Amino acid sequence: MGNLKPLVEKEVKDLLRDPRIYIGLLIPILMLPLIGFAMSVAVRSATEAAMKEMKVAVLDQDGTETSGNLISILTRMGLNMPKVSANSLDRAIGEARTLESKALLIIPERFEENLLSFGKVSVKVYSIVDSVGLGSEGAYAAIDGALETASEILSTMLISKLAPNVEPDVVRNPLNVTRYTIIKDRTIKVSPRVLLGQLVIGYGIMVPMILFILAITVTQIAATATAVENEEKTLETLLTFPVTRYDILMAKLLGSSIVAILGAVLFTAGFLLYFEGLFSLPGMEIGVGAVFHALPPPPLETYTLLALSLILSILFITSLGVVIGALSSDVRMSGSLLGVVIIPVLIPSMLIMYGDLKSLPLAFQLFTYVLPTSYPMIMAKEMIISTIPIEVIYGIPYSAALTLIVLYATSKLLAPEKLLTLQYRLRLRRTKSRRAKDLE
Amino acid sequence: MHDNEVVEVRNLIKRFGDFAALDNVSFKVCKGEIFGLIGPNGAGKTTTLRILATLLLPTMGYARVLGYDVVREADKVRSKISYLAEDAGTYRNLTGYEYLSIVARIYFGSLAEAEDAVEEAVKISGLGERVTEKMKTYSKGMKRRIQVARALMTKPKMAILDEPTSGLDVFHAQHVRGIIKEHVEKDGAVILSSHNMLEVEHLCSQVALIYRGQIMIEGNPQEIKEEYGATNLEEAFLEAAGKWET
Repeated sequence: MGNLKPLVEKEVKDLLRDPRIYIGLLIPILMLPLIGFAMSVAVRSATEAAMKEMKVAVLDQDGTETSGNLISILTRMGLNMPKVSANSLDRAIGEARTLESKALLIIPERFEENLLSFGKVSVKVYSIVDSVGLGSEGAYAAIDGALETASEILSTMLISKLAPNVEPDVVRNPLNVTRYTIIKDRTIKVSPRVLLGQLVIGYGIMVPMILFILAITVTQIAATATAVENEEKTLETLLTFPVTRYDILMAKLLGSSIVAILGAVLFTAGFLLYFEGLFSLPGMEIGVGAVFHALPPPPLETYTLLALSLILSILFITSLGVVIGALSSDVRMSGSLLGVVIIPVLIPSMLIMYGDLKSLPLAFQLFTYVLPTSYPMIMAKEMIISTIPIEVIYGIPYSAALTLIVLYATSKLLAPEKLLTLQYRLRLRRTKSRRAKDLE
Repeated sequence: MHDNEVVEVRNLIKRFGDFAALDNVSFKVCKGEIFGLIGPNGAGKTTTLRILATLLLPTMGYARVLGYDVVREADKVRSKISYLAEDAGTYRNLTGYEYLSIVARIYFGSLAEAEDAVEEAVKISGLGERVTEKMKTYSKGMKRRIQVARALMTKPKMAILDEPTSGLDVFHAQHVRGIIKEHVEKDGAVILSSHNMLEVEHLCSQVALIYRGQIMIEGNPQEIKEEYGATNLEEAFLEAAGKWET
C-alpha cells in the first residue's frame, strides 16, 4: 500500500484536473437539469398558450335545443366555440382555419331525435394540427377530455330520464374494481400494470443505464489516463520507479474508478434532476418512486452481491481500458480503439435493459453471461422482485476468475518491451490499411 | 563483478526483428565515475541505457547493475537506479512540486526523508516559485530541469541519464553538469549518453564511442584523443568511424 497511495494520488489529481475528463464529468450535472428545465418550461408555456383560448369551431347541423345544450356544456368547460355555417366539409374546415380553431366539431342532423330515442349518436371532430410541439398535444387532450365529460353529462341525463331512482354512476360502472399486487410477502394496493411500469423505469432501465454509464466512463477514463502516459512520454519513466507493475496497474484502476464513480454520481444526480423537471409537466405527474416505498426493501445479501459484482465488473472493464490505453500511442487512438470494447458491453446492456434474457436465443444469452459487466445489471434488475438470480451466484466466481486473469495479463503487458512491440504492430496495421484504402 | 564496479555489461546483443541495435557490446562503469556513451543517432546509446534501466530485455549477453541482473532481478535494479529518458514528459496537470513529492514518497520510506529530497530537488531544478505551478505551463527547458531534479533527488547509486542537457540553454546545461559532478562526488555513479561530444569530454571520466551497435573505442577522453592524435573527442570519433568503415 506504501507505494500505491502516491500513485493513486497522482492518477486522481492528474485526471480530475484534465479538461478532457472534468468537462465530461460536469456536462451531465449541468446539462441534464437544464434540458429537463428547458423542456418543462417550453412545454408548460406551450400548453398554457394552447389552453388559454381553446377554440373549437362548431357546425351545428341539428340546430335543436339539445345540440345547443351540448355546445353550452362544452363552453362552460372552457372551450371557445364559434359557430360556422358552411354547407360542405371543406368550407367548414376552411372557416375553422380562418377562425384559428384547434378543431371543428360537427353535430349532425337528427342529433336530438336519435339521442332522446336512445339511438347511437355520432359527432365528428376534425382536429387541425398546425404545430407538433408537446404543448399542442395537451390542447387536443383537453378537447377530448371535454367531449368525454359532456358525454357523461348527457348519459346521466338519459339515465335519470329512464330511471329517476337509479344512481347513474352505478349503471355506467357496475363493477368497482380495487386492484392489489402481491410481491413476495407484501400486498400493495396498486395495479400490476402501474407497479411494473414503474419498476421497468426504475430498476429495469434507470439502474442498468447508470451502471452502463459507469462502465463506459471508467473504461474511457482508464484508457485516456494510460494513453496520456504514452502521449506525454511519462509511462517509460513510471516503469523505472521501484514499484511493481501490479502497483502501477492497481493505481490506474483505483484512480480511474474513483473518478468514474464521481462521474456516475454526478450523472445520476443530473438524471434525477432531469426527471424532476420532466415529471413536473402537466399530465406526467406519475410519481415515480411512490410505489417503491410500498415495496419490501431488497434483502442485505442482494446489496452485497450487487456491490461484489459491481466491483468485479469495474476491475474487469478498467483493466481493458488500461490495455487499450497502453496499446495506444495517443488519446485519439485510444478513443477509436475504445469502440471495440464499448460495443460488446453495450449490446448485452440493451438486452438486459429492454428484454427478458431467458427468452433470448442461447447465443445471445451466452454472449451476455460471458461479460462480467452483465452481472450487476442483472442483479439490479432482479433484486426487488425475485430472489437472487442463480446466474449471478455462478457469475460472481466466474467474474472473479476472469478478472484475475485479465488483471494478471494486463500487469504483464505493462512492460515496455511488450508495449513497444505491440504498439509498433498496431501502427503497422493501421498504416497498411490506410495505404490499402488510398490505393482503392 | 568487482566491488568497485557499478555496471557490468558483457556481450550484449539486442535485435529488433532483423535489425541489430546492439552487437556484442561490453563495458564497465566504476563507482565515482561519469561514464559517457557517445555516438550518432541510432548508434545504440538509448537501447543500452533502456536495457540497464530494465525497460528492454537483451536478446543475448547480460548486464548487471550493482551486482543485480537486469533481467532476473529487475525489481532490485529499479530500487537502486534512477533513469532519465531522452524525451521524458511531465504530467501536465500536476505542479512540479506535487510531482517531485509523489516520486519522493515512492522512493523513501519516511515522510521526513521524502520532504528533504523534495527540497533538494527544488534547489536542483532552480525553478524557484514556479515549481508550484502546473507543469503544462513549463517551457521545454523547465520540464527537463524538473526531470533532472527528479532523477537525482533520490540519490541513486547509479543514475542513467539519456541526453541530460538536451533542450537546455547554455546556463542551465552548465548548472545540470555541475549537479551531475556533485552527485558522483557523493559516492554515486552516472552513465549518460550525449550527442554533444565536447560536453562529454569535459564531464566524463570514461567514455565509449558507439557506432552501429558496436563500441569502437573505450577509455579516458585524454587517452582517446592521444590515441587518434585528435584535439577533441569529435575529431577522434570521426577518425575512428573512418577506420571502422574501412
